[in-house]
Amino acid sequence: MRLALRELLRRPGRFVAATAVLTAVAVLLMFLGALLDGLLSASTGAYRAQRADVIVYSADAGASLPRSRITADVRSAIDAAPGVAETGGLGSVQLGARPEPEPDRRDLIATALIGYELAPSGLPDQPPPPGEVIADDSIEQEGVTIGDVLLLGPARTPVTVTGFVRDTQYSGQATLWASLDTWREVAGANRPAQALGDGTVQAVVVRTDGDPTELAGAIEAAADNRVEALTLADAIDELPGVSQQRSTFNQIIGVTAVVAMVVVALFFTLITVERTGLYGVLKAIGASSRTLFLGVAAQAAVLALVATALGVVASLALAAVIPPGSIPFQVTPSRLVTSGALMLAAAVIGCVFSLRRVLRIDPAAAIGGSP
Amino acid sequence: MFLALREIRRGLVRFGMLAVAIGLLLFLVLFQQALQQGLVTAFVGAIRNQSAPVIVYGIDAQRALQGSMLTPDVEQQVLAVDGIGEHNRIGETTLSVRVGDAADATEASLIGTDGPLGQPRELAAGRAADGPNQAVGSSVDFAVGDMVTVLAPDGGFEVEVVGVADDVQLSVSPTLFTDYATFEAAVQAFNPDAAEIPASALAVAPARGVEPAELVDRINDQVGDADAVTRADAADSAPGVAQVRQSFQVILGLYALIVPLVTGLFFLIITLQKARALVLLRAIGARSGVLLRALFAQVLMITLAGIAVGVLLALPLSGRQIGGLTLRYDPASVATWALVFVALAVVGALASLARVRRTEPVAAVEPAGGAA
Amino acid sequence: MTPPRSDGDAPVLDMSGVRKEYTVGEQQIVALADATLTIDHDEIVALIGPSGSGKTTLCSIAGGLLTPTDGTVEFAGRDISGLSARELTEFRRTSVGFVFQSVNLVPFLTARENLLVVDELGGRRRGDRAAARRRADELLGELGLGDRAENLPAGLSGGERQRVAIGRALMNQPRLVLFDEPTSALDSTTGDQVVKLIRDELKARETSAIIVTHDQRITHYADRVVRIEDGRVDNEPVSDDTPPEVAGGERA
Repeated sequence: MRLALRELLRRPGRFVAATAVLTAVAVLLMFLGALLDGLLSASTGAYRAQRADVIVYSADAGASLPRSRITADVRSAIDAAPGVAETGGLGSVQLGARPEPEPDRRDLIATALIGYELAPSGLPDQPPPPGEVIADDSIEQEGVTIGDVLLLGPARTPVTVTGFVRDTQYSGQATLWASLDTWREVAGANRPAQALGDGTVQAVVVRTDGDPTELAGAIEAAADNRVEALTLADAIDELPGVSQQRSTFNQIIGVTAVVAMVVVALFFTLITVERTGLYGVLKAIGASSRTLFLGVAAQAAVLALVATALGVVASLALAAVIPPGSIPFQVTPSRLVTSGALMLAAAVIGCVFSLRRVLRIDPAAAIGGSP
Repeated sequence: MFLALREIRRGLVRFGMLAVAIGLLLFLVLFQQALQQGLVTAFVGAIRNQSAPVIVYGIDAQRALQGSMLTPDVEQQVLAVDGIGEHNRIGETTLSVRVGDAADATEASLIGTDGPLGQPRELAAGRAADGPNQAVGSSVDFAVGDMVTVLAPDGGFEVEVVGVADDVQLSVSPTLFTDYATFEAAVQAFNPDAAEIPASALAVAPARGVEPAELVDRINDQVGDADAVTRADAADSAPGVAQVRQSFQVILGLYALIVPLVTGLFFLIITLQKARALVLLRAIGARSGVLLRALFAQVLMITLAGIAVGVLLALPLSGRQIGGLTLRYDPASVATWALVFVALAVVGALASLARVRRTEPVAAVEPAGGAA
Repeated sequence: MTPPRSDGDAPVLDMSGVRKEYTVGEQQIVALADATLTIDHDEIVALIGPSGSGKTTLCSIAGGLLTPTDGTVEFAGRDISGLSARELTEFRRTSVGFVFQSVNLVPFLTARENLLVVDELGGRRRGDRAAARRRADELLGELGLGDRAENLPAGLSGGERQRVAIGRALMNQPRLVLFDEPTSALDSTTGDQVVKLIRDELKARETSAIIVTHDQRITHYADRVVRIEDGRVDNEPVSDDTPPEVAGGERA
């Protein structure tokens, strides 16, 4: 194997071609991954930030927040369910926002105002006072700063931004976190058809000290199945688009990894042809086929790692260049590691293909020289 | 051709793998393009394939029908604009429904109009609704005769699907087109607390002699709270669509980039490997042009083989559903991509072509280097 | 099978005062200083000389692979010293055969295809292709390779590859064949075989040849042995019995 690695070091030229193509594939894998992560993150931030174990919707809401209604009596049933430590109501309304200085602006900022009781991470335990909101920091791209007043919806309801919080987007929109009272006021003024009465919320988040799945069942039972209770992880999967995006992208990533495999197989087959003489000599002096193959696999692995490293650099460069908000794009370390692992696997499996040639090399014939 | 074919025949595995690589890349490109098309259609099919040339949203909606609302006041202002011909309201609400005997509830969009504008332009089967509690449904989600229960806390009500249309989903959801009364009933049933039920948008046809684009500008200039848009623009500028398009452009661009890299490097390597044979052929009297043509022929043959592989892989997925989206291939764009791939492969092979051209016949008399 | 004589009695090759110089960096390298050589119809000339003497350059110019810096080269009465690269390529295809020292065969073509490729390069039409195939098979038969026609070079022994190369050199019915050390890589039995074949085939076709060699078997039957040293051709006939070592060649 050391011979193989030494060859890589001393004669990098012949491997440059394969590395170049693998780097392109690596960049592609990482870009796809970053796109997926960006989309998921923008869809699910508000939920991932919840410091709760279970979320409860009404039974016919189809696990969708805007279509869910939990009335006060259903709420009491939930509160009384066994295993419940704390509960908090949630209410949301999606509106276009205008900064106060531009009340007639036509290009609005897409926001989702969410009223809460149980604070998600990054937010104060006590929700902001009436008329005040804490905004997801993605809204800073629009030039909004602390102290700015936003006019929400057709009714131009004013709210003041008193702070920022990280990574809490909902359905790709910047969220504005407020008290339930603020939410009811804003929703009532702007969405009369969807306004909910006092005491009614859209969903309830629940904390427990016990097992979340059991709790979900217990809550549904306690409320006579008028509700649907999901663990937070399940609820995130049910968010619109999440599972479809995940499965579609993963399939595409998978096929792309197969492309990487074919490329490695192709280039290593090309390279192996040139080295029949060399392999013959090695076999004649006692190297087993296994040793030769391990050498080839080692080379493929190094190429994959180099390609991954270059891919990481390119991805970070791309991330810096892409204007925020134009494409949902998020480079995460875990995704880069996964892409690297995929490349490595693809490379090693790909060079198995050149193994058959290595096995076929007859030392005696190889020494005879090429025609 | 003799040389080109003989070399391929003796190296079927390597040339075959290149064709497979190209095929996979084309498959991924075609698949993702169909995905993009399907996504856009699933988002805004309802808008793109309905009958009104102009749609007037509330400005706050930012071109999303679900978030759009027009107060009676704003409606009046819009209708006062010169140049409006036929018009009617559009009401949209998102709700939970149960289709037939299905165990689970699903989310659906219900679009009600109090006139013909805003309804799907073409039906795939059945007929249009002609009274309350009847609907035309999106064909991937409903069949003629389905009884759809609109779920509500107090029980809800039933709607009969009397017709279906293709590509009329809104926001990737099952969509039902009904009359206005049904829309109002749906909103009321779901939320008895609802104080007023304003229209979501106005469907407008321009008066004779007025262009849709012209009417759009007039309305936007005169009514600050309204956002008028032509049917085509409404589809293109729906939230999320532009983002989807941009993301896919970058992805498809990256895939396309790999093609010249793989073919270029492949042909460069095999050209370098047969450098001695090329020198020999030139020495015994092969014209440069003959060798160049042979290489070019190989590039074309393998790329076309790869394209065939890619199309064969992509074809079975036509019409299939992935995550709620219907994949459909547009023959024009398949042909375009095939041409693009051929062009990219040729560009990639330029370095090899240059190398072949540089072959010096006199090198044949020089001793072979290395271990020979 | 004899090639038609052209131009009456013009010699096959008439090189006069041929000089070849290269500029490498700042230096002038003289590969051939003054070469004068005439080869008649049906004449086999053995060319001997130490390495660096210009043998290869002389053969390259004679075969139309190189253009001389100075002097004239007439091939069957036609001046080839001023031809363009394109014209030279055409000339090589129609009039000259080569058996090189190193790579002689295209690795991805069978023995038969290696012969046929010469014909293919000329872009003949379908009818002629059948005739070319027949000729190739005849040649292969004469060379004792009838049953090896479908083999790739990798599946042929050294001697067999050499014989295929000879067949290829003869396919286009050349006036002159140039050999570069045809037996240096062969064992004595195979070498004997090849030496005999070269002689038989050339004489049967009355084809002229220049054979660069140290092999005594060849110098023995060549019509003429010519020495070259320091880029100059010594046209003094060399006695058959002079061992090549004394004549200035290297040990075989």
